[in-house]
Amino acid sequence: MARLDQSVFLRVAARANFLQATWNFERQQGVGWAYALQPVIEALYPDAAVRRERLAEHTAYFNTQPTLASLALGAAARLEEQRAAGTGPDAAAMGRIKGVLGSTLAALGDRLFWFSLRPFAAALGVLIALARPESAAGAIVLWSVYAVPHLALRFAGVGIGYHRGAGVLGGRLRDYLETAVTILAYAGCIVLGVAVAWSLAPGGEPRTIAVQSAVAGGLGVGLLSAQRARPSPTQWALGMGVLGILAAWQRLA
Amino acid sequence: MNANLAFPATVLLGGVAALDATPVAQTLLSQPLVTATLLGWIWGDWQTAFSVGVVLQILAASTLPVGSRTPEDYATGGVVGTGVALALAHGVQMQPWRDSAALAGVMTGLVAATTGVPLIRWQRRRNEGLSRWCEAELRAGRERSLGEANLAGAAMAFGIGVAYVALWLAVGSFGLRGLVEQESLRFSRAWTVLQPLWLGFGLAQLLSAFVQRRLTRAAVFGASLIGAWLTLVMGMP
Repeated sequence: MARLDQSVFLRVAARANFLQATWNFERQQGVGWAYALQPVIEALYPDAAVRRERLAEHTAYFNTQPTLASLALGAAARLEEQRAAGTGPDAAAMGRIKGVLGSTLAALGDRLFWFSLRPFAAALGVLIALARPESAAGAIVLWSVYAVPHLALRFAGVGIGYHRGAGVLGGRLRDYLETAVTILAYAGCIVLGVAVAWSLAPGGEPRTIAVQSAVAGGLGVGLLSAQRARPSPTQWALGMGVLGILAAWQRLA
Repeated sequence: MNANLAFPATVLLGGVAALDATPVAQTLLSQPLVTATLLGWIWGDWQTAFSVGVVLQILAASTLPVGSRTPEDYATGGVVGTGVALALAHGVQMQPWRDSAALAGVMTGLVAATTGVPLIRWQRRRNEGLSRWCEAELRAGRERSLGEANLAGAAMAFGIGVAYVALWLAVGSFGLRGLVEQESLRFSRAWTVLQPLWLGFGLAQLLSAFVQRRLTRAAVFGASLIGAWLTLVMGMP
């Protein structure tokens, strides 16, 4: 039986970029998961019939936060290695472990990447774009603040998941990621404070009362509307746009 | 860049953004501020691109792809919004007209982001068939079907992104040109109020996501706002 090495992990991580290429309501990331795990299965199972059976098994339902999926892929690679040696879980147990891994990683990954890092990157990018509108710095900062840790964890995550196994999120790794969520929330509050101050007085020059009132009005409506999921922020924004256009029409009629 | 080249480049960027949003890599290349920066460079008009991109970005930031929810499609919506504004403002120096183009761009971008949701759902239902086909092929002995299914999913997302952006770009830049030209004063006046209104609204949505009803976080925001205001208006101590 072949041992799994760094080159296999690298191929799995590269394929993890396509984890959601066929995302659907039925199996969600299932086919992308099997595609990412294919180098592991090929290395472990020389028998073509067994290999196909394992790959088909892995196309079943799976879903998690796409960055932390690398940790789950690494853990699954280790379990498959044990399975190929005759000591690992059977198909049903493998499915259950994948389900637990997926939901555990999603619970933390959604908070870290979707609810913390992505809004933080956006807030920082917008602040820099407001302060330096003639340069690409805002976009570069937005992209790199998110993409660098995202891609780093995607590529390193497979190896980490393999070495830590099914209990990948136990111990200090979970503490580190939880701490990152808290730090990002405080950092986001600071960045947003500066962004609001800048939108009221860019470069130290206070804007007109009408503009400051509009910013304050938007903040008020935003804070109130954020308490309810519906209407969505986009629907609120569209409604404001229509009202704003109608108001301007009336004034110049 | 020449407008004849800028149009196809914008449409292609729409396809790339549609790929990055969900099917491939998910690096935030598809975020409106990033695509607006690229479009500003392509069209040679940073001012219009930034004014539209910042508004769409702050609204997109609070729209999250969590679980199986299909969020508004700000990847193509961002490209459509900025692209329409740039096309309408192309070669024009008059400020009211440019503001009017920016407003038309943001509104078109918001509508395109909203109407993109059923299209993404349709795409995801097509992927269900692709998944079933893939499993059947695997069991029949074709291991390459995994790669082929993923390639097909990505190619479909790219193609739909390109077609969707092309359609909206045509509708927005040609359909709205007369309105933007004739009503530029009204639209310009609306833009001067709506731009800061949207900015404040988006910042509040983000703030709510960070604070989550925790008093210490709200206090940190307040201290940061007052400190930044004093530093900006009164100068560094």
